[in-house]
Amino acid sequence: MNLKGITAEKLVALYRNRDLSVTEVISGLFDDIERIDPNVRAFITLMRDRALKDARSLDARIASGDTIEPFAGVPVAVKDNISIRDVATTCGSRMLESDVAPYTATAVERLRGAGAIVVGKTNLDEFGMGSSTENSAFFVTRNPHDLDRVPGGSSGGSAASVASGMSLAALGSDTGGSIRQPASFCGVVGLKPTYGRVSRYGLVAFASSMDQIGPLSKSVREAAMALAVISGLDHYDSTSSGARIGDYVRGLDRPIKETRIGIPKEYFAGNLDPEVRRKIESAIGLFEGLGCAIEEISLPHTEYAIATYYIIAAAEASSNLARYDGVRYGLSETGRNPGEMYRRTRMSGFGTEVRRRILLGTYALSAGYYDAYYNRALKVRTLVLRDFQKAFEGVDAILTPTTPTTAFRIGEKTADPLEMYLSDVFTITCNLAGLPGISVPCGWNSTGLPVGMQLLANHFQEGLLLRLAHYFEKAGGFTL
Amino acid sequence: MEYVAGLAGLEVGDDGKKELAGQLSRILDYVEQLNRLDVSDIGPAPPVVAGGKNVLRDDRVAARTGSSEAGKTVGLFRVPKVITER
Repeated sequence: MNLKGITAEKLVALYRNRDLSVTEVISGLFDDIERIDPNVRAFITLMRDRALKDARSLDARIASGDTIEPFAGVPVAVKDNISIRDVATTCGSRMLESDVAPYTATAVERLRGAGAIVVGKTNLDEFGMGSSTENSAFFVTRNPHDLDRVPGGSSGGSAASVASGMSLAALGSDTGGSIRQPASFCGVVGLKPTYGRVSRYGLVAFASSMDQIGPLSKSVREAAMALAVISGLDHYDSTSSGARIGDYVRGLDRPIKETRIGIPKEYFAGNLDPEVRRKIESAIGLFEGLGCAIEEISLPHTEYAIATYYIIAAAEASSNLARYDGVRYGLSETGRNPGEMYRRTRMSGFGTEVRRRILLGTYALSAGYYDAYYNRALKVRTLVLRDFQKAFEGVDAILTPTTPTTAFRIGEKTADPLEMYLSDVFTITCNLAGLPGISVPCGWNSTGLPVGMQLLANHFQEGLLLRLAHYFEKAGGFTL
Repeated sequence: MEYVAGLAGLEVGDDGKKELAGQLSRILDYVEQLNRLDVSDIGPAPPVVAGGKNVLRDDRVAARTGSSEAGKTVGLFRVPKVITER
């Protein structure tokens, strides 16, 4: 069984017509994973027994003539900072290496309720802090298109599992680009929904004002299907929204003619790789050909976004990660007094990037520096939000590159954390403003690495994003 | 740096201290660019949640699986001692 070239809808239809049994597909998939994953290393935990059990009970239901759900028997992977009951949720950290989740995240609950079969938990930068999955405490995930390169991050394991056919879709989380950037590097679709669209219950907190769960998939249709399932109000997340959930799947084919697409000039200055630029320019041409109106726009505070983001995200992280004290979760080292126990636990549990961000965040929040750093960053965040509000008075969507370059080499940016932060330049504004964003493959560079295009829209306009992406995918044919 | 590390419940060992200090000051130098903007009339960003409001549920007892159940299965949690004598 090879998942390449098959879509979720096709797979479910094959099950429904009894051309294939779920058990044979899932069991064949684990054979594939055994062959592929020793090279790619996308998974921290495989859930073979549970997946096969789910498969058998689904087969029994199909045999008895039950109607089956939209994701029935579709293999999905889940980023390992999203909880599944009775399964380890490590967050890629030594701190939580042996921590077993006592409950299941709402997004996973909903996907499983729609029939999806979770095959495993995927690797990530520790607590989501990184852009390459090199910050995992356990191992480095490799880009399936070139094993010497990073898959992006922090949802690198989820992106690599979809790109290499070890799952048809995956859940990731995106705080500063952690779904869209790895999707771009791995040649898959990655959707970061509006802040509040998807419940974060069961997602381990990194920066709570920006964290959001979303799907990664091979095609836009699967992203639409997944979003329709995981969206909506959840009484366990006070930031989840009851805003109407669009008919994302049926909406894909509604006309896009005369949609106004803005091209922000600030995203085309500076260090944009010339090959990436050319691909994005031809993507713009393709939308023009589809009858969209292209307009140059300005988002003048873009250059301040990275500084703003790294202060706010680090500040929130320093507060969120204070809970890892050796008492309540995971790792616990001994000490002669509580202070020593906290410090020893946190020093052996956290990796260097996590410690760096906690220090930065603690500094930005400390007495005497709070106004100069944290409060100022919150004000600049207002300016970034206003840039978008103004832009959306004139355009319906915004098109940019997802990343300034294609996937970089393993080790290339680990020596200099700031250099790594700068690679998030195009994805973090969306999180600061709480907007939805999608990355869609838009071709390959001369060495065969995928290039991603990002589309942004106003709050809760996922339907429009998916529709534009779907038309683009059909016209461009860049799907894996 | 040692003061901040203390606040954060971390230690800064001699090993790699210089490197870490260098990295943090490069990041802080980079962040300095925010001072170029005049934000005297700007308020801090509102929560980006829909409508800027939290979504609260009714204060009613409801059955749920989760952390309370974890306590039930193991009976009690054993935690390290965090109270010291003065």
